[in-house]
Amino acid sequence: MARVFSPLPSASTVPAAALGRRPRGGLARALGPDYRMGYLFVTPIAVSVLALVAYPFCYAIYLSMTHKLVGMPPVFVGLENYIRLAEDGFFRRAVANSFTFTFASVVFKLLFGMVMALVLTTNIRFRAFWTGVLLIPWVAPTVVSALNFLWIFDGSLGVLNYLLVKVFRILPQGVGWLSEPGTAMASVIAVNVWRGFPFFGISFLAGMKAIPAELYEAAAVDGANALQRFRHVTMPGIRNIAIIVVLLSTIWTFNDFGIVYILTKGGPGGATMVMPVFTYETAFGAQRLGEAIAVALYLLPPLGITIMVLARYMRKGRAK
Amino acid sequence: MIDSRLRGLAEQVEANQISRRQFLRQAAIITGGTAAGTHVLRSMASAQGKPKLRIWLFKSFVTAGNEVLQKQIEAWAKERNVDIETDWATFGDREQKFVAAIEAGNPPDVAEMNYQGPARYRPALRDLTKVSTEIAGARGGLLPHAERYVVIGGQHLAVARQTWPGGFFVRKDLLDAKGLKMPKVYDPDVVDIAKKTQDPSKDLWGLGQTLNRSDDGNGFMQNILWNYGGSVWDKEGKPALGTSFLKQNVEALQFAVDTITKHKIQPPGVMAWTDVHNNEAYMAGKLVTTNNGASLYYAMVNRKHPLAAQTQVIGTPGGPAGSFLAAGCYSWGIFKASKHADLCEDMIRWVEDEKRFEEYMRTSIGQAGPVYKVRAQNPYWKSDPNFDGMLQNVLRGVWPGYPGPITPAAIEVQAQYILCDMAGRVVVGGLSAEAAVKEAHRRVEEIYKIRSRG
Repeated sequence: MARVFSPLPSASTVPAAALGRRPRGGLARALGPDYRMGYLFVTPIAVSVLALVAYPFCYAIYLSMTHKLVGMPPVFVGLENYIRLAEDGFFRRAVANSFTFTFASVVFKLLFGMVMALVLTTNIRFRAFWTGVLLIPWVAPTVVSALNFLWIFDGSLGVLNYLLVKVFRILPQGVGWLSEPGTAMASVIAVNVWRGFPFFGISFLAGMKAIPAELYEAAAVDGANALQRFRHVTMPGIRNIAIIVVLLSTIWTFNDFGIVYILTKGGPGGATMVMPVFTYETAFGAQRLGEAIAVALYLLPPLGITIMVLARYMRKGRAK
Repeated sequence: MIDSRLRGLAEQVEANQISRRQFLRQAAIITGGTAAGTHVLRSMASAQGKPKLRIWLFKSFVTAGNEVLQKQIEAWAKERNVDIETDWATFGDREQKFVAAIEAGNPPDVAEMNYQGPARYRPALRDLTKVSTEIAGARGGLLPHAERYVVIGGQHLAVARQTWPGGFFVRKDLLDAKGLKMPKVYDPDVVDIAKKTQDPSKDLWGLGQTLNRSDDGNGFMQNILWNYGGSVWDKEGKPALGTSFLKQNVEALQFAVDTITKHKIQPPGVMAWTDVHNNEAYMAGKLVTTNNGASLYYAMVNRKHPLAAQTQVIGTPGGPAGSFLAAGCYSWGIFKASKHADLCEDMIRWVEDEKRFEEYMRTSIGQAGPVYKVRAQNPYWKSDPNFDGMLQNVLRGVWPGYPGPITPAAIEVQAQYILCDMAGRVVVGGLSAEAAVKEAHRRVEEIYKIRSRG
């Protein structure tokens, strides 16, 4: 049988030795011929991740299981810090406050952000100007915003009480916005919402701009009113953006330290104590570093679950 | 210029006395040795150069005092030919800075610490017994409260510098207008004065005293427990908040809360105040009385504020068991990691020299209170009628942990604002005074247990 001439014999028909290569082992077969080069490229990243993320994280887990005071070597105590925290009423209140603070803040930011985006998609005058103005809370440094609100909420010298009592005469006497049970948590939530809603708004705005106008036209031809167009065209169009924004905002709000610390330091009487402030107080007030890390690590499961749920929800949506 | 040994080697190569390989080997040895020798010489030279000290100072609200201290230290550095790197810790970041530096093994050489420093940073601090006793001995000895702060476990872990005196600031013009006398006790004197002089419709309030998480709130809550015969600790330094002193502590807490909820002599929002709020409210003419450090008086005098002349600073009012208050102590600590402990001690001697301290004290307008017996007798304290109340407060000052010793647990109760939280749980949380005291007691016991491990 005549052989078929092939000017370029395939690599598989030529013995490896004839090509000057060593015969492929199992790794080369499994990972491809350039696997050594691959290792070379991956190694710096792997080392960086191990050194900058994995090692500190594992060390933090170890420290959270120690009795570690400043300037003293850590003493391993197992899960004692976690157990003690679980029994600590102030810690439990901080956990509950964190969820209240985060949930309320994210819900209001979502609502206000949506309103902002809807308003900015209409043909209002000076739209670019209003977009810029509405972004100011997001752009301004947190410390500056919080300090301004500290002054605004001040019971004696604050502008809010001045307006309500002296200018509009709505109240007979000023309110201790940051010092009373009904208003302290609401006030810190309000500041967080004020600071965070432009992020929602601008993200939704970007999502809405990407929705083809034809969809709205078609819906209008089909007789959909504004609410129906919002529900059946706008909402599905920005669904994934909304999930990402809610996810990010939940993480940021849960970890928000600056606003609460500057406005109330977690007071009065722990009424606004949230977990990041509790962590800080345990680390630098109590100077019990092992326990402070245990507080911080308590944040991981709720955040992890939130991320997993939202990510799964987003993947499902994409599959549909 | 070529080394003579290299030139010799080169000549040998040219004369074929040694091979090129031998030339390279020997040349490498010569140049390597020369380089190493040069490096050693350079490091020896730099070791003989100026030593460098890292110095941390505390930035108080008395800015003129801060400047005087900085200049004095710079003058010392110039005189001793020392390079210095000064850094300022503030009310907001002092603990973070110390914790981070100690944990990183990179603390400053010498630092000005607040009253918590010697007890909290004990493992990292040097024993300064020799220099401390020398300085104190030359100044008539330490005042009792100052000794408690710097002497821990029989060792002087710091050299005392100053106490920031506190006082009860009273608008004497408003009291004079109503024919009222200066108060001696909180209940009924301060309450009466407050009710008779305040005018909420004009936003003028009888008392401005936060119970919130702040140094001001901490100080007041601690003092009021003592004034009613209570305390957080017993004489042995064991927790007594909700046990042996329960009755007295509940009465004291109830009074503190009543100033807000029952007597209504405090402005709205007082439970959210930080350390600066009462200063601002007092200078804005919205308060008849307030407790504060001398820095408020300094601020008014320094700014030529009209209320400076209308203010009388008196000794802090008391309660049924007497008048007690904690007097703090700022002190110098030298860290074990320092390689220049002798220089640090020299710097401390320099700034604690009486002439230099007097310059600092006069600039500070009452803020630089005495920690040594001789300094308490300085005629300066008679130069202003408002200084007398401040001085008396220092002289009768006690310490966190009183009537027991200062312990790391007592310091932590202060640092964690346990007593402020206790008040907040009544005012905001709706707990009864007794329930709040018992809740706080559990936290104190937990701290005591943890700190007892060492």
